[in-house]
Amino acid sequence: MTSTLKGITLKGSAELVAEFFSFGINSILYQRGIYPPETFTRITHYDMSLQLTTDPKLKNYLTNVVSQLKEWLFECTVQKLVLVITCLETSEVLERWQFDIECDKSAKESSAPREKSIKTIQDEIRSVIRQITATITFLPLLETPCAFDLLVYTDKDLLVPDKWEESGPNIINQSEEVRLRSFTTSIHKVNSMVAYKRTDSV
Amino acid sequence: MAEGGDVEWELSKENIQPLRRGRAISALHQALSQQQEGHSSATNQQRQAFECELRMYDGEDPLDVWDRYIKWTEQTFPQGGKESNLATLLERAVTRFTDEKKYHEDPRYVHLWIKFAENCPEPLDIYRFMQAQGIGVTQASFYIAWSEEYENQGNCRKADLVFQEGFKKCAEPNDKLLQFHKALQARVSRRAMMDVEEEESDNEPKEPERVSLADLKHRGKKKAIAPVNRTGPAIRSVSGGLQSRGTSILGNASNSRLMIFDETKTQSAGPSEPKLESWMAPPTSRAKENEQRPEKWSDVKIPQKSKFGHTVMAPPPPKPTFQPFVEESDQPPTMTPCKINPAVNTVLSARKPCREETPLKRLQDHHHQQREGEAGKPQEQSMYCKELLLSGAVEFSFEELRAERHFKKTAQESEVRRQRDQANASTAN
Repeated sequence: MTSTLKGITLKGSAELVAEFFSFGINSILYQRGIYPPETFTRITHYDMSLQLTTDPKLKNYLTNVVSQLKEWLFECTVQKLVLVITCLETSEVLERWQFDIECDKSAKESSAPREKSIKTIQDEIRSVIRQITATITFLPLLETPCAFDLLVYTDKDLLVPDKWEESGPNIINQSEEVRLRSFTTSIHKVNSMVAYKRTDSV
Repeated sequence: MAEGGDVEWELSKENIQPLRRGRAISALHQALSQQQEGHSSATNQQRQAFECELRMYDGEDPLDVWDRYIKWTEQTFPQGGKESNLATLLERAVTRFTDEKKYHEDPRYVHLWIKFAENCPEPLDIYRFMQAQGIGVTQASFYIAWSEEYENQGNCRKADLVFQEGFKKCAEPNDKLLQFHKALQARVSRRAMMDVEEEESDNEPKEPERVSLADLKHRGKKKAIAPVNRTGPAIRSVSGGLQSRGTSILGNASNSRLMIFDETKTQSAGPSEPKLESWMAPPTSRAKENEQRPEKWSDVKIPQKSKFGHTVMAPPPPKPTFQPFVEESDQPPTMTPCKINPAVNTVLSARKPCREETPLKRLQDHHHQQREGEAGKPQEQSMYCKELLLSGAVEFSFEELRAERHFKKTAQESEVRRQRDQANASTAN
């Protein structure tokens, strides 16, 4: 019994990673000012204070995405999650937050829990979110009102659910890319990266 | 977990000034790694190269060099500060082209002005100056920056007026101006909405507040216990305490004209009571107790030089009747250490810029001087290439300029020789 407390199963891992995306997306939306700051409320999670949206529509949308994502994480069919920030007027892509997900598919066969405590995983997640917050030191100011979009890359053979549609990659040309920290639950590994428009192209 | 140099920027994130246009991550890495080793010669060389280019440039577009130099400085010195020399650079660049009409509507030049204004203590003055000079008056970015400054100072009406001015002047790009104007309106209306909401919530019945130093009705029969609820009916007499005591004293000495100030009473007298009185004198800057006021030292004498050359000290105090203990090894100091009188200090100290000398003031002076020069008034004329020596952010010497010219010449000559050699070789073939 004690060993199950310390280890992590596929289900638990999927939940942890989905939770990270929920908080991570919320932080990005807050930090980059996509939604007005007064529509966020502060909560404490991972031993740090995080901003969570209170906008009902956005909340609903994010819950939908995250629960779908959790399913895919559990099936190990998701490869990437990308948050794209576009200019509302020109729909030009200004920023692209990319989270590459590496799934260990062998975890689907053996249900034995892996040896990694939740605390260490959460510590790793915390440093990723900290780094997301710190990126404002070099990211350009988003001067225009912006919209965001979430893209999920899955395995090719997967059926697209009703509420989802296929889309292009929305890549920025002439971009500057910065790798951020990564974390792993030993089943899912998440590498983060942010791309933004290069300065001299302005 | 930590990926090598990638954590570098995170460790010094507090020391990186955010830029409107963002930073190139490679330049940032380089700058931060150089900082740890101290500024390398590569940075200095690059700066020297820019300084040289500023002086030797003889093309069509001298602003280009300045623009590149300033952008490089921003990226290379992420923490800004004196070392980067950015403020001086901006000021020099901006003053340099004030009279060149061809740059007045150049977006690069206008951006330099805006950056310069943001570095100044009074940006609004700079924007007004720009308007008066006709710099950037058809550029949308000028009006946007000006309006943002007003908005930051909380003057949304003026911020809106600036946009109106921009529309009147048909500033380009027009859609950008429109977009920012719309965003401003949205922000203002949202703020107004929030204020209304707050006021509405203020109108709700207030929680009764506790009064300080109020007499409470005690609870309990045998033992007096303070009540848990200490508002409203639990207070014995809100304003009575002071009054009752005051009257009893007054009763004893009926003749005294002593008035007792009662805070609660004056408040209830009506809201019209507080009058707006003009300050007779500005409030003292520091509310400090036990502070000694400066006063005239009329009875203090400055030690004067006698004819023997040494200073005459004030007559020593009468010798004490006891023998003070002096340690054997201890040499009594011949003189008490005191601050050297700055008037007789032989060491030259750097002249401090006087307070009035703001960048804008300097700019106006510069402008004024040039006007006078145009008007034909006799003006100082330096008989050397002063412009070239001082034009950059760093001062150059004649030798540096000469060396630069020499290198250029030799490079040209060797180039010509090489071409001639090649030509000879081809004809020989």
